[in-house]
Order: sequence, then structure tokens, then C-alpha cells
Amino acid sequence: MPIPTTKEKLAWLKPAPATQHEKECAAKVAQGDYEIGIQITNDILDEAMEVFVRASRSYFGVSGDSMVAIFTANGDLINASCGTYLHAIIQPIVIKFIHKYFSENPGIKDGDIWYTNDALYGGIHNPDQVALMPVFHQGKLIAWASAALHTTETGAIEPGGMPVSAKSRFEEGLNLPPIKIGENFEIRNDFLEFYSVYGLRAPAMFISDLRARCTTADRVRIRLIELADKRGSDFVVGLLRKMCDVAEEGARKKIRALPDGTYKSVVFNDAIGWTPALVRACHLTLTKKGDNLIFDFEGTSPENPSSYNVHPQAVVGHIANFFYEYLFHDLPICSTTFASIDFKFPEGIILNPGKMAATSCCVFIGMQARCATHNVFAKMAFSTEGLWRQIAAAPGSQHTSQICAGLSQWKLAVADVLSFSLNSMGQGGRASTDGMDAYGFAWCAFGRAPDSEQVESELPITVTLSQHWKDSCGHGLHRGGSGGVQHWMIHKMPDLVSMCMGNGSKVPLGQPLFGGYASAPIPGISIRKADLMARMQRGDATVTLDNRAILEETSIHGNWNYELVARTPKVYDEGDLLFGFSGGGPGYGDPLERDPEELLEDLKKNIISDWTAKSIYKIAYDPEKHKVDIEKTKQQRDEERRARLTRGKTFEEFEKAWNQTSPPPEILQWYGRWPDAKSLGPIFRP
Amino acid sequence: MQNAPNRIRVTEYLDVDIDQEKWLCNRCNRDLGSARENYKKGCLVYDRDPREIHPPIVTGAFSFSPDPLWVRIVEFYCPGCGTQVETEYLPPGHPITRDIEIDLDALKARLQNGEFTIRAQRLEVPE
Repeated sequence: MPIPTTKEKLAWLKPAPATQHEKECAAKVAQGDYEIGIQITNDILDEAMEVFVRASRSYFGVSGDSMVAIFTANGDLINASCGTYLHAIIQPIVIKFIHKYFSENPGIKDGDIWYTNDALYGGIHNPDQVALMPVFHQGKLIAWASAALHTTETGAIEPGGMPVSAKSRFEEGLNLPPIKIGENFEIRNDFLEFYSVYGLRAPAMFISDLRARCTTADRVRIRLIELADKRGSDFVVGLLRKMCDVAEEGARKKIRALPDGTYKSVVFNDAIGWTPALVRACHLTLTKKGDNLIFDFEGTSPENPSSYNVHPQAVVGHIANFFYEYLFHDLPICSTTFASIDFKFPEGIILNPGKMAATSCCVFIGMQARCATHNVFAKMAFSTEGLWRQIAAAPGSQHTSQICAGLSQWKLAVADVLSFSLNSMGQGGRASTDGMDAYGFAWCAFGRAPDSEQVESELPITVTLSQHWKDSCGHGLHRGGSGGVQHWMIHKMPDLVSMCMGNGSKVPLGQPLFGGYASAPIPGISIRKADLMARMQRGDATVTLDNRAILEETSIHGNWNYELVARTPKVYDEGDLLFGFSGGGPGYGDPLERDPEELLEDLKKNIISDWTAKSIYKIAYDPEKHKVDIEKTKQQRDEERRARLTRGKTFEEFEKAWNQTSPPPEILQWYGRWPDAKSLGPIFRP
Repeated sequence: MQNAPNRIRVTEYLDVDIDQEKWLCNRCNRDLGSARENYKKGCLVYDRDPREIHPPIVTGAFSFSPDPLWVRIVEFYCPGCGTQVETEYLPPGHPITRDIEIDLDALKARLQNGEFTIRAQRLEVPE
């Protein structure tokens, strides 16, 4: 019963061929019944998602960073409600593993509840946990149902489920291979007891989320049984099969409509764990031929002894997030849409590390594969009439992923993430328009920023401001969407423990598109012994709650700290202030082509500063009257274009000078060999 | 020239003339070299300190600015009109990416057999 290999996991992503019975059942599904059947699956899943969000306790659950799904009997995904598409394509790996290794012992029975969170067996990382239930009708397995959700506590060496200090999987807390946690439609109490005493800092939250997953999967199961009772199990089997076939045809048609060729993108990351380090997080070569896409990650930096590694199927999950948000946005979320997409992961790269690797912060690396996918897709699809409007630069994925752990004002144990700065990132600039401001979570487009009143009730903090973060967006003809900022003041408890995951303090994440600029990096900022609470309590009229002004004027007094955004756990006292940023989206196109009237709107909305309008976009305007001087703007922009022609070198001249430069050697420790990122030898993990 | 029958848009600022196998600037029609080569070789190139675009808001090593020792902005300009055709954020000295290699022979064949048509400079699949 080995841990599945990369080859085995990638093979399980591929849909199984239809059985003769499935083909016969699919042939009997009449037109009309088929369309109604699809809608019934949508309704089942949407109802279950509503149950899921309402039943969840953690902020990821409340924000909807989750997925509810239906699978065929052999484990291929046929439809899902999201939430996040991260899990969409890869969960079949778990079901196929259960089928292969557990069919006989302990067996797959009606009423089973299966559970897993181990990325080695097909997940994303161990905070992402899934409950799965087989769907039996009249004694026959006809489908599977699942509910997946990120819970921010796993009993790791640091609170919050994503330890930035973990060097191997043994420091990441609970890693649970697929296991049966319930029988006869009941969760086993011995398992719940094991979970609650395992070493979790917030067991009540953990158990609530676990129950939410199970009850959600069961709701899907019940509704599928009702459908089978009403229409017969052959109808359900035929419907699922036909959905697979139609989705595959739709995906292949879209891919065929793209020009054949080879497209490349490279994306960098500036930290592994809490250590600043330059790595080539994704070196992607996409080859497109006919209706086949091959993603090849040769040239990506080697794995490292931090939690910033990602298992291959989790990379596919990040790419699925791109596909379903853009290219396949109008297709069902179905395994067969990836039938003609292949992946090559060389052994030992950061995107395919060894079995002992820590991967709990894998999302910060996996996201770079998504960012690279945005760029290769843009360059492949811009020439096509059918798909060019789906082009967008990568989302603004740098952010403050701040964990708070301790006791709430109600004396309840908490260990959760402050998810505003996750769910308010800027969308990348699009081919037809700007990126959306604070559009969502780069890992979960439908995630919602939590209600601040609720956050203040459940965590020992007060949210002192929430606003767009000026100049966070990448500039361009179509700018990226603005990110957001919140300030969190420790309140109503003497202290709490806080740490932060993330990246993007030194190097912007995500390449821009077609002459635009990337979005701004983010530091980790805190103010200890801040005077804000005392000034608010006495009604000090000089208090300014404008993020940019606070930063520029240091108008809150105390001990300011500027650090890498990823930080190890520290104790903060009541009144201390933490800053949470979500990244803006990278820009699209030459900033000199941006409509000056749109820039005036950006200025009015505090999305950009006067400096940016004048220095990057080169517009001339009257800030009092909000009026553009068209002639002077044209003159300034023409001057800048002439300046480019003067300062630009020929490619050969440029390369001659450029090739003499390199980054400082001390930041390349985990890069691999410079510049091709080949491994320099094995790594040690405790 | 933009009315050339076999000219398509490949990026916002980059066209390819399939018959002549040439990269062309979409804004000024400047010839940017062979479409079987990297179009960036036909551009003017500038190594930009990223702090000029993302200026520091606070002082110190973590200032909302990219670190110029870690990353540079490589800007590619059309030598005809000065349009910023492309940008790449790269560590200093990192190889420039050849991001687009269209299979021109396959494209020509698909146009010839009617699998693609060109309308308004874009590839369309006839219904």
C-alpha cells in the first residue's frame, strides 16, 4: 500500500473510459432530460454549499473557500459548487486511491464517511480537508459526494495550519491519509476524540468544520438518492456519464481553437518560510498542439527545506483555478475538461518535492504556477476571436496572511486567519478592461471578505480601518484591480499570539501583461505600544484613519516594525497594531495609452496617487478642478516615447551588459545553480 | 498594412504577418524581425530600476518597493513609435524569456484547410 507516486497521481487525474453500462445509460438520457438533469445537479450542489457555509466555523468556511462536488462511481468529478476550484480536478485521486487499496479492507459501504487532508495522497496541503461519502442506491454504488474546506489549525509547530518554520512534514501537525471516520451515516466518536485531543489549539473550531464537511457531503448524497428514487439509478449513471462526455467535447473544442506553438513564462518568489531567498518558483513551457496542452515545469528551482514546496497535483489545482475562472468559465467543473491536458514535473523541483517535504505553505509557490499560466495563455489566446476577451494578468497574490491564536473575549480558544486581506485582492488587468478592485481571493474567486463585526466579536481585535490601498495596483492601459488594507488592533484581551505567512515583500508576484507593470510588493508591518487606542478612547480629533497618511506621516506613535511579510509567531499586547494588505493585480498594456479620464476616476477613488498619475501615466491635469489638459498630456506622453527611443538599447547591446550582472550570491542559496536553477545537491530535512 | 489578409494580432502591440513571416508593431507597423525568432530581438530594451515605478512609501529594506538587487524591470520598446510592447520582471542577469513561438507551418496549414479563417485580424473557427 504505497504512497501514490507522481506518475500514479497524474494518471488518476485522467477520467476513466466509460463502461458499457454507462454508455447504455447515457444513450437513454433524452434531450431535455439531460439539461434538466444538469440543473438538478447544480441545485443539489448549491443547496449543499449553502449548508456548508452556514455550518462552518472557521473563517475560510465562512468566506466560502470550499467546494462541494459530485463524482461518478469510479471517482471522476462531474460537477461542483465553488468556492474554490483548487480541489476540483484533483479529488478523484483520493477516491481512486480508496478504490484501489481499501475496497476489500475496510471495504466501501453505504453510510461510510471517508476523510483525508494529506497532500501526499492527493490534497493541496494539510489545512485543506475533505469528507467523502459513497452514494449507494439499492445496494449499488452509483456516485460519490464530497465537501472540502480549509481549516486554519492542524496542530503544527506553529498555530494556524501553515507553519512558516516547518522543515519537514513531521512538523506540520496532522497529516491524515484517506481513512474511514464514520460508518452507518455516523461519525465515530473515537475518531472525534482522537482529533480533539491530538494537539489542536482550537478543537471546537476544528470539530465544527469537520462536522460541516460531513453533513454537507451527506446532503449531496441524500439528494442524489432522491433523484435515483424518482428517475431510476440508470438515469443518474447516464446523466453523469453524458455530462462527462459533453464537457470533454467542449474543452477540446476550446483548446483546438488556439494556435499551435510553444509559450513560456517565468515567475520568481522571494522567500522560503520566513527566510528571504530568491527562487525560480515556476519555469513554465506550455506546448499546444491540436487539442492537447502540455505543461512542462523543467527549469523550476529545486525543493527546499521549508514549507514552501508543493506536490504536483496541488500545482494542477492552482492551474484549475485559472482554467475555471477564465478559459473554461462556461464549462461544467468536470474531470474530462482536463482529459487532453498533460503535465511534466521533473523529480526534486519545488513543484515536485520528496515525500518528506513540508508543503503546508505550498499555496505561495503553487500560485506562481497559476501566475505563469495567465501569461502563457494570454500569449496563446490573444489572436483568437473566441477567447481573447478571457485574457487577464495574474491576480494580486501577495498578501498578509495573518494568524491570530489565543483566547477570544469570550475566553474561547481561537486559532484563525484574518481573512479580509485574503479575500480582497485585485484582479489582473484584462484585455478589454481594468482588473476588478478587491475582486476576491486569488485561490478562491468567490471568497467573501468576512463581516468586520463578526471578526471583532470572535477574535480579540478591533478593525480600525478597511479601505483600498492606494497605488497597490499594477499600472497599464488597463490597470490591475486595487488591493485592500485593514488595520487590526489587539483589543479586549491582554495579548495574543500572531504569525504571518506569505511572500512578495522584495519581488512583485505575477508578471504583468503586454507592457504593463506588476503590482507593489508588501512588507510586514506592526506597531507595538501604539498610541491609537488611547487616542481613540479620549476622542482625539487628530487621529487619521487613512492608511497612506498613517504610513507617510507616521501619525500613529509607537514602535514601528517593517519586516518580511512572513513572520514567526510572536506575542502582541493589547493596543498593538497589525497591518494587513492584499495585493493589487498586475497591469495590462502600456500605461501611456490609458485614458486620462479613467485616471481622473482612479484619483477620485484614491486608487492611485498624484505622483503615479504624473510620473507613470504622464498626464497633465488640474487637481482642483479635476480637469485633464489634453494637449499637454499628449505632449508629455510623446516626450516619454521619444525618451524611450533614446534610452533603449538594441537587444544585442542590452544582453552584453545584462549578462554581466547577477543577484547577490547570498540570496541564491535555494535558487539552484544560477541561472538555470539545476539542483546543486540533496537537501537535509530533520 | 493592417489590412493585409494574413496578418493577425498576437499581443496588444504585436502582429504577425503570416505570409511574410514577420513580427510587426500593431501601432506603427514597424518590422520587428522574423516571426521564427524572438520578437524581443527586434525591440529596444531598457533595464529599469524598479523603484522608479514602485517608489518607496517608507524607509528601510521593506518599503513597498521591489529590491533592485533582487529584481529589475526589463522594458521592451518598439523602435518605431516607442510603444512599450512588453515588460518582464527578472533578477539581474536572468535570461530573457522567449515567450512566444507560434508554429507558423501548422497555422498556415490550418488556414489553408479552412480550419481557421481570419476576421478583424483574429483567428476564427468557422461554424
